[in-house]
Amino acid sequence: MQNRPSGFGNPWLQLALSVACGLVSEFLLKRGATEVANTDSAWSWTGVNGLASPLVWWAILLIIASFISWLYVLRYIPITIAFPLSRVVDILVPLGCWIFLGELISPLRWCGIALVVIGLALVAKPIAQIEERL
Amino acid sequence: MSFLAFFFIVVSLVSFVAAQLILKRAMEATKSTGFRNAQFVSKVTGGVILMTISFFLTLGLLQRFDLSYLYPFQGLSVIFITLMAAVMLKEKLNLRLTIGALLISVGIVLVSLS
Repeated sequence: MQNRPSGFGNPWLQLALSVACGLVSEFLLKRGATEVANTDSAWSWTGVNGLASPLVWWAILLIIASFISWLYVLRYIPITIAFPLSRVVDILVPLGCWIFLGELISPLRWCGIALVVIGLALVAKPIAQIEERL
Repeated sequence: MSFLAFFFIVVSLVSFVAAQLILKRAMEATKSTGFRNAQFVSKVTGGVILMTISFFLTLGLLQRFDLSYLYPFQGLSVIFITLMAAVMLKEKLNLRLTIGALLISVGIVLVSLS
């Protein structure tokens, strides 16, 4: 992690950006794919018919943005740290639904969220130490 | 779940994990050799092709199953990528990172099961 750029080039900022774009694209993909679902066709296993939905195209744009940020992240951060951290998106989805859509979160789901948070803390701890040394 | 669905879920997961490892290797190489070399271009192309395969298979699966049903399998990618990065990319993996990745994987599975 030597010669780490700062400002917009900061790899941690880019990781956050990549996660944010990924998060929005997940919602768009699910809505888009459901919108044009035609499970009778054998081709639909490949997902190609999903391209008929404009939402899927917006999702693809966000995925490309997320991907470019991610490549940048990979240049500076070990994947054993960057990838687990990027999965924070998996608890942001249910938390977002809880906060903004008023959906209920079951006790089992809360347990899962707690486990992910503990896991993220374990993975992130050495980063704080590395950053302190720089 | 049919055999076909299971097969596509596995192919999608494997291609995703392989893509991440190849892309990491490509980006590591840019530090010493820059972006203009055949090795970088071929690795990024390979990674992008694998990610595209994984993307379209996921899109096909999403038309048949709920996101909440498919998510546990995505959760498994955390532990797979962490272990494979240690084996294939020789990244340092300590107990803390392994337990962290394991907890995140189990957590994602629990979040999507409920």
